Amino acid sequence: MTATATTGSVTRTAARVVDAVKVYGTGDTAVRALDGVTVGFPAGRFTAIMGPSGSGKSTLMHCAAGLDTLTSGSAYIGDTDLGGLDDRRLTLLRRDRVGFVFQAFNLVPTLTVAENITLPLDLAGGGGDPEWIDSLIDVVGLRDRLGHRPAELSGGQQQRVAVARAFAGRPDVVFADEPTGNLDSRSGDEVLGLLGRTVRHTGRTVVMVTHDPVAAAHADEVVFLADGRLVDRMEAPTADRVLDRMKAFEVPS
Amino acid sequence: MNAALRLSAASLRAHKRRFAGTFLAVFLGVAFLAGTLVMGDTLRAGFDTMFGNAARGTDAVVRSADAITTPGEAQGVRQPVDTGLTQTIEQVPGVAAAVPDIQGAGQLVGADGEPIGGQGPPTVAGNWITDPELNPYRLAEGRAPQKSGEVVVNRGTAERGGLSLGDTTVLRTPDPVQVTIVGLATFAGEDGMAQVTYTGMTRADAEKYLTARPGEAAGILVRAEPGVSQQELVDRLADVLPQDVEAITGQESAEENNEMISGQFLSIFTVFLLVFSGVALLVATFSIHNTFAIVVAQRTRENALLRALGASRRQITATTLVEATAVALTASLAGLAGGIGIAAGLQALFPAIGFPFPEGSLVVGAVSLALPPAVGVVVCLGSALVPALRAGRTAPLAALRETAVDSSGASRSRALTGAVLGGLALALTLTGVLVTPSLWLAGTGAALALVTFVVLGPVASSTAVRVLGGPLHRLRGITGRLARRNALRSPKRTAATASALMIGVAVVSLFTVFGASLKATMDQTVSRSFAGDVAVSAPAFGAGGSGLSPRLAPAVGELPEVDTAVGLGRGVAEVEGDGRALTVTDPEALERTFDLGEIRGSLTDLGTTGLALTEKEADRLDVAPGDTTRLTFTDGREQTFTVRAVYGRSELAGDYVITREAWAPHRTQDADTLVAVSFADGVSAEEGKAAVEKVAAQYGNPEVQTREEYAESSAGGIDMMLTLVYALLALAVLIALLGIANTLTLAIHERTRELGLLRAVGQTRAQLRAMVRWESVLVAAFGTAGGLALGSFLGWVLVAASDGASDSAFAFAVPPVRLALVALVGVAAGALAGVRPAGRAARLNVLRAIATE
Repeated sequence: MTATATTGSVTRTAARVVDAVKVYGTGDTAVRALDGVTVGFPAGRFTAIMGPSGSGKSTLMHCAAGLDTLTSGSAYIGDTDLGGLDDRRLTLLRRDRVGFVFQAFNLVPTLTVAENITLPLDLAGGGGDPEWIDSLIDVVGLRDRLGHRPAELSGGQQQRVAVARAFAGRPDVVFADEPTGNLDSRSGDEVLGLLGRTVRHTGRTVVMVTHDPVAAAHADEVVFLADGRLVDRMEAPTADRVLDRMKAFEVPS
Repeated sequence: MNAALRLSAASLRAHKRRFAGTFLAVFLGVAFLAGTLVMGDTLRAGFDTMFGNAARGTDAVVRSADAITTPGEAQGVRQPVDTGLTQTIEQVPGVAAAVPDIQGAGQLVGADGEPIGGQGPPTVAGNWITDPELNPYRLAEGRAPQKSGEVVVNRGTAERGGLSLGDTTVLRTPDPVQVTIVGLATFAGEDGMAQVTYTGMTRADAEKYLTARPGEAAGILVRAEPGVSQQELVDRLADVLPQDVEAITGQESAEENNEMISGQFLSIFTVFLLVFSGVALLVATFSIHNTFAIVVAQRTRENALLRALGASRRQITATTLVEATAVALTASLAGLAGGIGIAAGLQALFPAIGFPFPEGSLVVGAVSLALPPAVGVVVCLGSALVPALRAGRTAPLAALRETAVDSSGASRSRALTGAVLGGLALALTLTGVLVTPSLWLAGTGAALALVTFVVLGPVASSTAVRVLGGPLHRLRGITGRLARRNALRSPKRTAATASALMIGVAVVSLFTVFGASLKATMDQTVSRSFAGDVAVSAPAFGAGGSGLSPRLAPAVGELPEVDTAVGLGRGVAEVEGDGRALTVTDPEALERTFDLGEIRGSLTDLGTTGLALTEKEADRLDVAPGDTTRLTFTDGREQTFTVRAVYGRSELAGDYVITREAWAPHRTQDADTLVAVSFADGVSAEEGKAAVEKVAAQYGNPEVQTREEYAESSAGGIDMMLTLVYALLALAVLIALLGIANTLTLAIHERTRELGLLRAVGQTRAQLRAMVRWESVLVAAFGTAGGLALGSFLGWVLVAASDGASDSAFAFAVPPVRLALVALVGVAAGALAGVRPAGRAARLNVLRAIATE
């Protein structure tokens, strides 16, 4: 499973966008959040999207994940063109093939930890794979908290539950939007380590938006966005290299 | 503008939608109230004008001085006057004309063979008065009756019965009389005096059919010569009239008539409607309170920020109250306008559906103008007061905290208070019902029970929703589970939302249970007291109908199939000073067809000086068989009767029984209200009934009913009443549903991010809609269940208290089918209330929802 990911030669893409353009507003107030981005996120890898504020990294993720629609260009999950899907199909696609981890408010407060983890599967009406779920629970280390409500957990624990939920349905790709933005560095490290481990051990794909070089360093590859364009890619990043690259953005402006 | 005002204005502008529910609740309640009051005013003024116009030509009315009024009767019974007085009156200087006014009951049979009217308003027959000044009716078409059998009918009645000029039909007086319609009349320009049916016949016919003996009339109408005032006329008449006859001015007579209609019918009608607008406003109170409570809770951070920035408690409270006032004022004024609109609409609608609404413009009195908006503002401000004070108490620190879900509600002290209140309510009610029957105690207990339900709502809501929502999980999977958890989130809010519906449903079930109990009582009464095989009765309700021919019972009695046929007539007399209804019948036969309970003494040979009475009345008068008592009749004659028998059961037989012979000298128009028949041995029910029907056909074709049918038709009015009550309560239930919808909309607003998350991880729009709808259904189910329980309990209290207060036994019955229907409607209405909020929730943009603060 990990073989294809590491060789990097005939890499299958789990998600990609082609010539993606996203314009918010019209006329004078129009903002080009994405200005012709083409990028693929290889399957079985942990990719980070970085860029300064307003670079369009969140928009890219939202469009790639089918949460938002492109003004022009196309977005694919696997081989499925998201542009051709209606709301119902998009919802089903998100449910069955995509996982999400958000910055905050990631869990449904009325459901227990266990119920939150299986929420996408329950919404689909199917039971999922109990062994897989079971192993996920061990990976995120929350076995003793299954009956608790989100309000009874720390922020880091909540985010670990969100990670478990994101992977529960064995999605093609998990999108994480600043998953550590609300956490202290220790909890943040735990969550990032968890994401990385899950990718490496189970061959899942993760795409993470972040502005934190330390977080980006946990990824296999970093793609850099500036002013709605893809400006650079970096394999095997470290925090220092990412920081340096980011500093380069600030110089011209 | 000061800060509080500015903040309120900004908040109102920003959250118009939030207050739409509050606006509607106040608007509907106020409109109902205003509509009722304006309609009452308008009807009263209309009747006033109508009677004034009708009696304009009559300057004085001569009638017998004393009236005997029995309990539960609006209008006293007067002895007729001697028409011979007419000549005496005509001799009085200043009298232009005097005519006897003969009045009785006469019910016309329509073209379809069914009697016209009789369900409430009187069915009047009388002599057609040829002096147009003295006759309140005017000929609109045709001519006056000239020979026997010719009649004038008011146009409304003719239209209702499908009769036209020249038609021949039957007038039940109650003996069937063949009549030909030769004229159609109007009353004060209208097709009739409301729903009263009028038949005018020749004086000879009227004397023959409507009075006990010729030469009698209800009164004598007198017209003065020009220049003689009504009072002068009355004064002059007083000098020539015998002692027991009086004269009143035409104006007084019109006022009396008006008072009878406005005072009795209109007041009851208005009070009835006011009670239901009260229920609607009470329900509205809960909805409004809830809206403000939620709005304040949602604004905790904003208010805390304001407090942190230096706003005083008072300013924060004022902000909320100013908002409430603004909503209250606009809604109340709109409600007032709406209510006047409703009254105007009804004024236009009534004539269209055949109910002659008196002519005249809409009358909006000062009370109708001031009271509804005042009530609206008080209700709205009162409901917002507690939330506003709570807003003022917001700690500045709350600005820094994450706004948590409102978890208040199921506190221990609340449970304790509720338990104590409940115990008190139960104790009071049971004491008031079972130990020392007292309506006051029972009523207080019932009111406390209502308070208990409201107080215990939040405590009970968790358990109730958990139980009611139990099957949902299995039925609807995760959607059901989410709906159930959402309903459980804020017990206080769920309870407050459900309380509004609970009150509506409670009142509905109260009436349902009470109605069913009344029916059961009626059924029990008939099956217990009525020992005959069939009953012949003329279906009538209130003052309408003409009863049965007194010759029917003897005719039926002669049938070979019949063992006994006994007719029950009605008379009145004052017994030791109090007006009482008498049952005029053949006492011996009565005993054979009715179960009179335990009888002391004997009902045989009462003769003209004996009477029988119930145990209760005997106790009141302190008499036993062998004692004597004095009866005063309407003709002023007093007679001493000997008590011959005291019987236990009065339900159908009445409190006093005298013979036809004893009543004959005092009788007016003869009519029986009921003929009870028992068959001879060996006669089958069908055979006997067919034979009786054949005879009845010759006497105006009254209905022949078996015991079961008789019991059922006796209870027929109850269903009609219930239908009206349901229609009036629909408004309260509607307001409650608006409350549910509003609460849900606010809750959805609160949970925007959560809904966005659910959608992001794969909840379809349909699933989201279902989730919101099921939450709505759960809240409604909780309210409905509470309402059914409370309503049934209150129904039982009402029945038991009535049982204690009256001498006849009341049966308590719970109608399972009807109550199940009420439950179903409540739950279905909940689903309906959830539709709009669910639709709004489903339209949320996923990304924007996740990004909301």
